[in-house]
Amino acid sequence: MTNDQERTHAALWAAGVHKTYAEGTRALRGLSLHVPAGCFFGLLGPNGSGKSTLIGMISGLVRASAGDVFVFGHDVVAQAPQARLQVGVAPQDVHLDRFLTTREVLVYHGRYFGMARTQSTRRADELLASFDLTDKAHVKPNRLSGGMRRRLLIARALVHRPRLLILDEPTAGVDLQLRRELWSYVRSLHREHDTTVLLTTHYLEEAEELCERVGFIRDGRLLDEGSVPELIRRHGGGDLEAAYTEAMR
Amino acid sequence: MDVAVDLPTAQRRAMCALAGREMRRVLSLWTQTLLPPALSGVVFLAVFGGALGDRLDVGGVDYLRFILPGLLVMTVAGQAFANNSTSLFQAKNEGYIEDVLSSPLRPWQLLIGYMSGGLLRGWLAALALGLLAWPFAGGMERPAVTVAALLITGVIFAVLGVITGMWADTFDQHSFVANVLITPLALVAGVFYAVNRLAEPWQTLTYFDPIFYLVDVTRYGYVGVQETAGWAALTVAVIAAAGLFAVAVALLERGWRLKP
Repeated sequence: MTNDQERTHAALWAAGVHKTYAEGTRALRGLSLHVPAGCFFGLLGPNGSGKSTLIGMISGLVRASAGDVFVFGHDVVAQAPQARLQVGVAPQDVHLDRFLTTREVLVYHGRYFGMARTQSTRRADELLASFDLTDKAHVKPNRLSGGMRRRLLIARALVHRPRLLILDEPTAGVDLQLRRELWSYVRSLHREHDTTVLLTTHYLEEAEELCERVGFIRDGRLLDEGSVPELIRRHGGGDLEAAYTEAMR
Repeated sequence: MDVAVDLPTAQRRAMCALAGREMRRVLSLWTQTLLPPALSGVVFLAVFGGALGDRLDVGGVDYLRFILPGLLVMTVAGQAFANNSTSLFQAKNEGYIEDVLSSPLRPWQLLIGYMSGGLLRGWLAALALGLLAWPFAGGMERPAVTVAALLITGVIFAVLGVITGMWADTFDQHSFVANVLITPLALVAGVFYAVNRLAEPWQTLTYFDPIFYLVDVTRYGYVGVQETAGWAALTVAVIAAAGLFAVAVALLERGWRLKP
């Protein structure tokens, strides 16, 4: 496939991406990454490796210093609106509009992404039920528990049925039972709706369990990328954790 | 998406949603957003118009009627500015602005969405004040001019509020523009006195105050009295509004102080 074809067919295509923040931090140093459409992709790396910066660029919240990022063939800068419609992000940090109720957070999000009010309301109710938040529908998000807020963030990312779902450490601080439930939901979403998922996590067993392909990132560069067995074969060790540890040395 | 829609439709819906959210915020917090400015205006009218009005000469015009247009301008300007600067500052400070920044909205649509709340607040507060004052101050000589002047005033200060909300990183910075620039400029803009009766250099200095022209043209519409060329002032105000709008769109396009 040519570069153009790859770019069009990939859910995410990033090439030579650099980001230097105003205070001088170099978050990305020529990162290149291809996530095939329909793939469940894990991006693993230590804190400060550039994962959240890359996610910010994909969702239009961070400006790249150099390089190209395409989402389903749409340039995230030149065709920002088209690219953003394809993406749903559940961010690492919880930022929810305090003037809205749990249900309204979902309804407004759908409308911000172009859904009609009735569609968005119906979808919000579906997601409230799926994420066991129906009885909290009329509660303000600051009255929800940490786990509920985490579920709400994931539900919010799904309202407009994005083709690329980005989960930035979705299970950080979440108890084991909820983590398993979230895994199950995201896995079924990926299988049944062919949604591409980009997952960042510090739980390596989570990546091993869920991801079809995994990328290791450090100091703003992609160190390696492949299926879990490929990475284990290339870096040694009996599991992904050992391979990851070896790759990060 | 749930049902495939074309991009312009999606963007129009998104803009309406943001505008709706902003206007709903104004209406749901009406005891903070609408009641205080209307009451403040009435108090100004009662104190200056009722208690002191007989002792002040403003060229033969009833004093209460003379000051009402300026109070309407102050109300629209102050409320449109305060609403938008606060709303954007809060959204930025608490991080939930990311919800709209990552949406398919174009910068001009984002600006209109955020302006809507301030415009509604400024115009509703001014309408309430105008209705309360109407039995005492009487009707407008040229309603179209008054309405046009107040519409332009709203747009100018709603945009300034958005720019200030983008710029401010702290609550002090956010308050600075309102307290140190807008309120003093409004108070010395000839709201309570006829500028042509001022001694020099105060008269000339007043001509450098942009709010003076908005007050003057609004007064021309309401009372029929003007100190400058009213239509020229209105034309300059329209150009200023368009210029500020373009600047705000360019800043949003760049993600100025919103995106690292």
